Amino acid sequence: MSVAMATNGTPLVLVADDDPDILTLVGFRLERAGYEVLPARDGEEALALALERQPDLAILDVMMPKLDGYEVTQRLRDDPATSGMPVILLTARVQEADITRGFEAGADDYIKKPFSPQELRARVQAILGRR
Amino acid sequence: MTLDAVVWTALVLTAAGSLSVYLLAVRRLYLMRSDRRYSAGGERLATLAAALAAGDLEPANDPAQAELELLAELLARYSRQLTGEARSNIAAFFERHGLIARELAHLGHRRPWRRARAAFLLGDMCSQQAVEPLLRALDDPSRDVRSAAARSLGRLGSGRAVEPLVRALVEQRVPRAVGGHALLTLGSEALGPLRPLILDTEAVVRATAVELVGLLGDANDAGLLTDRLRDSAAEVRAKAARALGRLGAEEATMALREALGDRIGFVRANAAIALGLVGDRASAPALLEMARSDEFDPAHAAARALSRLYPELLWSAARDSTSGPHLAEAADLTAVAR
Repeated sequence: MSVAMATNGTPLVLVADDDPDILTLVGFRLERAGYEVLPARDGEEALALALERQPDLAILDVMMPKLDGYEVTQRLRDDPATSGMPVILLTARVQEADITRGFEAGADDYIKKPFSPQELRARVQAILGRR
Repeated sequence: MTLDAVVWTALVLTAAGSLSVYLLAVRRLYLMRSDRRYSAGGERLATLAAALAAGDLEPANDPAQAELELLAELLARYSRQLTGEARSNIAAFFERHGLIARELAHLGHRRPWRRARAAFLLGDMCSQQAVEPLLRALDDPSRDVRSAAARSLGRLGSGRAVEPLVRALVEQRVPRAVGGHALLTLGSEALGPLRPLILDTEAVVRATAVELVGLLGDANDAGLLTDRLRDSAAEVRAKAARALGRLGAEEATMALREALGDRIGFVRANAAIALGLVGDRASAPALLEMARSDEFDPAHAAARALSRLYPELLWSAARDSTSGPHLAEAADLTAVAR
């Protein structure tokens, strides 16, 4: 059981995107599905929150200011405290090379933008259900 | 000029200046009030809009009329980020409140900017009711309206829009970037209607369809595209070669090798590029000869294809002082990249 779940029993999901609309839409869908959402507006904030709060899952936009999603994923993998944290990349870049780069950085899954809220919830549930 | 005239002129100018300052101050106050109202309700409305998009809100809980416009603006924005059922929920909201009907009526407005705005907004309202009127708007006398209609048809994702969009594109009724982007936004939905256009009677339509199938299609399209390497129009043959390269169609390598002998230079160039992308190392000797002796563009393309396929052969050939500039340049670039 992760640190976040141990504190209040609700899985904590970090959602990082510089687009406030995405934060609202993803946050709303996950909160309705019973998750606690931790929003971040850039890569640095996402990394800091991930290290501090150690969420159960991180959903990261690829193209973010300060640190992109690949870099944040890589740094999470390099830190022993967060190396096992599942990461989903949320990206408009769906060329094969971009997807491969995401998996090479350590991502567990990716969701294409624009996205389906139902699909997002299903993927989050699938990943957290496996843990 | 008399003293009276000077005094009157000064008075009039002073009055006009004062009035302008007053009007600007009133306008500023009005905008500040609107901003405050927007900010205060923004967060609540954003959650409301997200709930509507998710289908978590009953129609009876829809907002008051005063908030409708703000909510509509938010939902239109959200629609650009969403797919699937959420878009149906957004369409239902706009239809229920008569906003689709309002913008459809504006498509007939006498002012072009109003028609263009309506055509643009309809694309974010997600309603299929707008497809037919937007297809008609592709023939609007205003280029702005036609462009907005093309963009919105792409957003609405209707396969019915594919052929009209291709024709609007080739007839230059919409800017190439806008029409192309709309068709790419349609994605795989566009493929079914696009494939028959590969055999259209107009060469320019065939060329556009071939290019788009190359961008949107998959290995199943290789046969259809390979046949176009023998098209009567050079533009179609060149686009077909490029598309086959993009799809990595290994089964097309024989036909692409034959296309290296096409009588038109840019077809040979595209065939060379495609062979490089497909990874056909067996074509290296033909590409080497082409890089040495062909016209500028095909020779340049052949050398770059060789750098991708067979760098050792390229470096070896480039050492020969009679090999020409293209092999030497490609060898240098490959060495730098390593």
